[in-house]
Amino acid sequence: MNLKELYQEIILEHGKNPRNLRKTENFTKDAKGNNPLCGDIVHVYLKLNEQRKVEDISFEGSGCAISMASASIMTDLIKGKSDNEAKEIIEDFLGMIKENPELKSNILKEDDKTKLMCFSGVKQYPMRVKCATLSWHTLISAMENDGKEISIES
Amino acid sequence: MNINTIKKEFPIFDKKIQNNDLVYLDSANSSQKPKVVIDRINEFYTKQFSNVGRSVHYLAVAATNLYENTRSSVQKYINAKDKNEIVFTKGATEALNLVANTLGQKYLEEGDEILLTELEHHSNYVPWHYLRKSKNIKINFAEINEDGEVPIENIEKKITPKTKVIAINHLSNVTGAILPIKEITELAHSKGIIVVVDGCQGGPHLKLDMQDLDCDFYAISCHKMYGPTGLGILYGKKKWLEELPPYQGGGGMIKEVKKDRITYGDLPNKYEAGTMATAQVIAFDQSIKFLESIGIENIIKHEKELIEYGQEILRKNNSVKLIGNPKNKGGVLSFIIQGVHPHDIATILDEDGVAIRAGHHCCQILHDKLEIPASARASIGVYNIKSDFDQLNESINKCKKIFDLK
Repeated sequence: MNLKELYQEIILEHGKNPRNLRKTENFTKDAKGNNPLCGDIVHVYLKLNEQRKVEDISFEGSGCAISMASASIMTDLIKGKSDNEAKEIIEDFLGMIKENPELKSNILKEDDKTKLMCFSGVKQYPMRVKCATLSWHTLISAMENDGKEISIES
Repeated sequence: MNINTIKKEFPIFDKKIQNNDLVYLDSANSSQKPKVVIDRINEFYTKQFSNVGRSVHYLAVAATNLYENTRSSVQKYINAKDKNEIVFTKGATEALNLVANTLGQKYLEEGDEILLTELEHHSNYVPWHYLRKSKNIKINFAEINEDGEVPIENIEKKITPKTKVIAINHLSNVTGAILPIKEITELAHSKGIIVVVDGCQGGPHLKLDMQDLDCDFYAISCHKMYGPTGLGILYGKKKWLEELPPYQGGGGMIKEVKKDRITYGDLPNKYEAGTMATAQVIAFDQSIKFLESIGIENIIKHEKELIEYGQEILRKNNSVKLIGNPKNKGGVLSFIIQGVHPHDIATILDEDGVAIRAGHHCCQILHDKLEIPASARASIGVYNIKSDFDQLNESINKCKKIFDLK
């Protein structure tokens, strides 16, 4: 085990100053996620435009450095992507946390991949895996949750 | 037994945990087990095993006697009037569910009120919440004060003519506040209110004297009292246990079963349906003997000194904020560090072999009230020593360094 691998500079920095920690105005989709074991809560908001591109994404919630940094970096990377690209990135990230040694997607730039690979350290801490993946699972449920879609016109 | 050398009675401390000496500060969650208890389980399964209360063969009779011996030891240890006032359950959670369920079946009526406190563990809230749904019972909460305790005035304030039950913990698993059970019972009984005590944290840390406390029910968690998991105890005054209906149905709890009618067994069998946690019950006798060999007065004195020492050290540490400051306190020290989430604290401490708990400790109502999502908790047992808090403090400083705090 290595604490330095878990608490890398970039995680500590995003944990302290999370990006997109707010509520998207006129969001089209959202979902809440929580981890009842530790009380972490996250609420992800998404605004998809007519071309199904993520115009804005944000989150509200509280949690540990790992979960806040994960939500922060996730929202940064997903913004501007199409919904299909977003799904590919999510799958790639969750696959890496679960078992894959590297990220496979070609959508991500190298320095984006470096940011996500910072979370590979949680593999050694099974109890903390959920901290890194909660916001990502919540994003999936927001994207799939068509019933909750809010009309921008109204 | 000398309390300063008690650690050697616990085999787990002989082992390195991830190359560290174990600093175990999670006893409010579950205590470690002394060798006598571990050995007793092994011995029972190796040499004496049989189911209890059913067969007439030699082993069955011997096992039944051992099982009932523990009941007598518990009766003596908690100063209950009658051996049949001791019911074994699968845990304190089941004990509290048993009380809520059977009171709901026979005693409580629509519109009745139950009074809890904001300190309650989910185990002493959720079972009552079921009655809110099924019987339209109202639940009120006595508030904590700024020190994280519930003074009797705060309880008195919330009593109404409809209050039928007060269900309260003996010692808070978050703030460590010790509630004045005896005074609360006196007040409650003067108004005809039943008192149910969640004694999970009281069990290992306080003197258990049912005649002095005079409560109607008291739930005990054996694995927090240096005993095995899967075992709890419900103490209930005989008049209540006799009057209330059974909780679960099955073998062992009946007198006569016909196609058109069933009559139930006498106490305590009425509440012990199915095969019980036999080995655990028999081993728990050793936990009682272990506690008696130290003496609860010595335990209280030792733990008071430890908690005061821990408080003193953490108060000196900048950016550590203790949760609650009760005058009468035992067992636990909960805290937060501004700028470091409790989960991160727990992971970093774990790297040094310091085991604490992080989260809401099954007390979401309390954490909502305190307006914090979670806290870190260091909780003690008889085996802890002052240097455990020195190590805790050192590892907290490591957290602060990683998170760049002053």
